[in-house]
Amino acid sequence: MNSTAQKLETSTPIDTSCYADVTDAIRKEAARILADGTVTAVVGYKAGRRAGTTMPAIVTDPAEAGGLIFSPACVNNLALYLTKAKKDVVKKGRIAIVAKGCDMRALAGLMGESQIKREEIFIIGVVCAGVKGSGAVNSEPLTTGNLARKCRECTVRTPEGADLVAGTMPSLPELTPVEALEMARLEAMTPAERWAFWKEQFSRCVRCMACRQVCPFCYCEQCLCDKNRPQAVESTPRPAGNMAWHIVRAMHLAGRCAGCAECERVCPMEIPLNLLNRKMALEMKELYGFEAGLAPQEKGPLSSYKEDDDQSFIK
Amino acid sequence: MSRIGVFVCHCGENISRTVDVERVAAEIGKLPGVALATDYKYMCSDPGQGLLKKAIAEHRLDGLVVAACSPRMHEKTFRNAAKAAGLNPFLCEMANIREHCSWVHEDREEATAKAIDIVRLMVERVKKDKALQPITVPITKRALVIGGGIAGIQAALDIADCGHQVLLVEREPSIGGHMAQLSETFPTLDCSQCIMTPKMVDVANHPNITLHTWSEIENVDGYIGNFQVTIRKKARSVDMDKCTGCGVCMAKCPQKKIKSTFDRGLGTRPAIYVPFPQAVPNTPVIDRENCTYFKSGKCGVCAKVCGPGAVDYDQQDELITEPVGAIVVATGFELYTINEKPKGSPIKGYGEFGHGTIPDVIDGMTFERLASASGPTGGKILRPSDGREPKQVVFVQCVGSRAREKGISYCSKVCCMYTAKHTMLYKHKVHDGQAYVFFMDARTPGKSYDEFWRRAVEEEEAVYIRGMVSRLYQKGDKIVVMGSDISVGVQVEIEADLVVLATAVQPRQGADALAQKLGISYDTYNFYSEAHAKLKPVECATAGIYLAGACQGPKDIPDTVSQASAAAAKVMTLFSRDQLEREPIVARVNERNCVACFYCKKVCPYGAVEEKEIRDRQGNLVRVVAYVNPGVCGGCGTCQATCPSKSVELEGYTDEQVMAMIEAL
Ligand SMILES: Cc1cc2nc3c(=O)[nH]c(=O)nc-3n(C[C@H](O)[C@H](O)[C@H](O)COP(=O)(O)OP(=O)(O)OC[C@H]3O[C@@H](n4cnc5c(N)ncnc54)[C@H](O)[C@@H]3O)c2cc1C
Ligand code: SF4
Ligand code: SF4
Ligand code: SF4
Ligand code: SF4
Repeated sequence: MNSTAQKLETSTPIDTSCYADVTDAIRKEAARILADGTVTAVVGYKAGRRAGTTMPAIVTDPAEAGGLIFSPACVNNLALYLTKAKKDVVKKGRIAIVAKGCDMRALAGLMGESQIKREEIFIIGVVCAGVKGSGAVNSEPLTTGNLARKCRECTVRTPEGADLVAGTMPSLPELTPVEALEMARLEAMTPAERWAFWKEQFSRCVRCMACRQVCPFCYCEQCLCDKNRPQAVESTPRPAGNMAWHIVRAMHLAGRCAGCAECERVCPMEIPLNLLNRKMALEMKELYGFEAGLAPQEKGPLSSYKEDDDQSFIK
Repeated sequence: MSRIGVFVCHCGENISRTVDVERVAAEIGKLPGVALATDYKYMCSDPGQGLLKKAIAEHRLDGLVVAACSPRMHEKTFRNAAKAAGLNPFLCEMANIREHCSWVHEDREEATAKAIDIVRLMVERVKKDKALQPITVPITKRALVIGGGIAGIQAALDIADCGHQVLLVEREPSIGGHMAQLSETFPTLDCSQCIMTPKMVDVANHPNITLHTWSEIENVDGYIGNFQVTIRKKARSVDMDKCTGCGVCMAKCPQKKIKSTFDRGLGTRPAIYVPFPQAVPNTPVIDRENCTYFKSGKCGVCAKVCGPGAVDYDQQDELITEPVGAIVVATGFELYTINEKPKGSPIKGYGEFGHGTIPDVIDGMTFERLASASGPTGGKILRPSDGREPKQVVFVQCVGSRAREKGISYCSKVCCMYTAKHTMLYKHKVHDGQAYVFFMDARTPGKSYDEFWRRAVEEEEAVYIRGMVSRLYQKGDKIVVMGSDISVGVQVEIEADLVVLATAVQPRQGADALAQKLGISYDTYNFYSEAHAKLKPVECATAGIYLAGACQGPKDIPDTVSQASAAAAKVMTLFSRDQLEREPIVARVNERNCVACFYCKKVCPYGAVEEKEIRDRQGNLVRVVAYVNPGVCGGCGTCQATCPSKSVELEGYTDEQVMAMIEAL
């Protein structure tokens, strides 16, 4: 279980012709809404410095809309830019954002947590055949071999609830699941084995906090894990503090994280963070029939009480 | 450096028997910041408190720990003493070394070590305590009474007579409860209706009482002095303001054969009805399940015949929200049935008595209706199956009650007395009839109660058989009663014309759901729990909510009325003040850290969290943060546990304090 895209034996190319249409549609829409004043900025992607890469871009001038793109390298979850970094993005007015189906789920979650208001954003949804996994070679085309693992089991390729959806979905080759297999392996472990597994994984954490920085839901300005009066979580990368940080992280994201896997992508130590996120999501589904990010929620299952809630854990 | 005083109490021998209190004081005295540590026999006594007050001045103490019993017992005592000596009361805390230590341990060495730990934690907490000022909140001098039986009626009248507004909510179309159904009442045999109806009329006419019948409690928010209750006024289908109570609609309604619940199924009523002629209010309701108009859209007779045009088929349920300061719960009881119970129910029915299928096996309340002059038989004792006068009647006591194997172990308290009453009423009406009673023992504590029972046995010739009934079955037009007479050790078999079962008094169906809305506790049977079995028998543990009548446990009328007046007195005591002082143990938001996720708002059970806008000098919105209304906050700490950024904390229980306590361990 490591986060680099596994090279599968057969590597079939994926039809990415739709990305050009999507790019076109984004540019046209961005130019239009910037020009007519619907929005003051568009958060999207532009080409990166190296060929075959992309980077987040904030466009405020309609003339620059032509620089926006969409490609299999558009891995970032841009929802991040609407929360803690929002102040730097733009001071006033409505903002547009380019969102893949998976990013939409983060947007829905953030709306439920009063971080963004639906009427204050304009969502340019994009159909998505998948993005590349980490470790994929920049110059290679998208194939079933270098596809991000989360994309292999994606259920939201066409975003719902956007102001417009750019592009039409091509048909995709058969994709064998990877995340589901990993989860099955985790589930098959005894509690002691699972504890040992996570202990080993977390022992590698260097507390760079990249996972926190990239997560759209870690928007607290003062993270409790950085507090020192009182200190709840030791901040140096030592076993006890590492364990505490990862438990806090998992618990705070339970019922909120919708699995964009950005944390796992940015982790320099290849800790399978999204596996833990997905395990928490599975618990939420089994206990409360709840899936995060499908729609903005007034109250999630962890912040509400129902008489028929499962109480079996109280022994 | 703090100057904390620590006082270790012996509690007579309650603590010192297991805990070496001198050693606790000596050890704690060594802690940095502790200026004085001493022990005393009874800290709560007058000299004990005097010691504390003197020490505050002499040692210039800026914090106190009293190591003694539970704070629930004496926190107020010691905080008041601190206040009297000029120290902010919230700088005084208790370390519980009795309930949490000496009472639950035997080993002196270990108990002493634990007591030292407990006290040390509190010393650390007090070091970080802040001086707090009490919060005052206004009291809404208006009471809600739930349930319009004799309990609710009495409580409402008492409070209203004292000059306060009362809302009386009754879920049936009329007030009256069970007492309106009774024929004559023990121990004096006066007519129940004759003493009940004037009180019902008083309620209707009282300028301070607003009556909501055919209504239920939908939701309760708030806290003592400041509740917000939402009442569902069910659609009556008759306009209360227009109806004159003439009753033409009831006379003309073609649906006549609906079984009357008030008459326990013995009589019938129309689809538009009042449950009984003396009903208050005398405005009918339409039973939509049985009304032809609601079932098929045809009919509409009542609307046509109603002179003032009061019938309104389009009426909808209405929700109203009312502020009240105190609540009296008086929802009464219902009777156990011998019917088969749903699977999984801890309460069992009586298969050996035919599970309710034998028509001439009835319960006590049904007998009350038979004996009532205004009942379906005009007060004649006639059996339900064929309308004949029964010549042999068997009464069975303790059906369901005191029967652990049937799921109920308590005594229903009123059955011994009303069965004696029933035998007398029977004898007075059927002179040549014979009453038999199967009983375990006669429980007659109460003024004139034993005399009443003896009269049934000695003068009215009821035959009392000490023993249980094992089986009842129909044989021809008789019911065979098989039982035992344990006083002589023989089996008895009686062929009866009618059998009357004194079935157990139970809480209402749904009593638990109402308790959850109110936030009050209830026992395993769903009777509501008083705050203290002996010293607080009418208060709930939830402040501002009081209990009256059979909803708290089986009760006869005199006890019910006494408790109702007691509950009213508690409400009046509360209303005698204009403001309520509340402990300032409330949550406070750190506005600099709050990221406005409003999880606190979502979880707060008191609805205390609001959204607050912070604006700059030009009035531009800078940010939105959470704000806790201190008047509403109940100090539960749920928000503190939920806040992801730890931006909201309970005064006196800050993270810093709790962490300091943990670290001291
Ligand atoms: C067969 C029998 C004979 C008895 N005979 C005597 C006797 O001779 N002398 C004597 O002293 N005692 C007698 N009793 C006892 C007497 O009936 C009770 O003491 C008395 O009725 C208790 O009054 P209460 O107001 O507490 O309850 P109830 O009379 O049950 O009244 C409760 C009221 O609350 C209403 N209610 C319930 N739930 C809700 C809700 N959720 N919302 C709104 N309203 C609600 C009900 O509709 C009802 O009107 C007898 C009892 C029985 C069973
Ligand atoms: S925890 Fe990871 S997967 Fe979940 S929302 Fe945050 S970055 Fe995405
Ligand atoms: S990104 Fe990886 S190494 Fe860095 S803090 Fe997160 S888990 Fe630890
Ligand atoms: S939970 Fe915490 S961060 Fe969120 S709104 Fe409340 S106080 Fe602010
Ligand atoms: S402590 Fe917090 S959750 Fe509890 S009542 Fe006060 S504001 Fe609400």
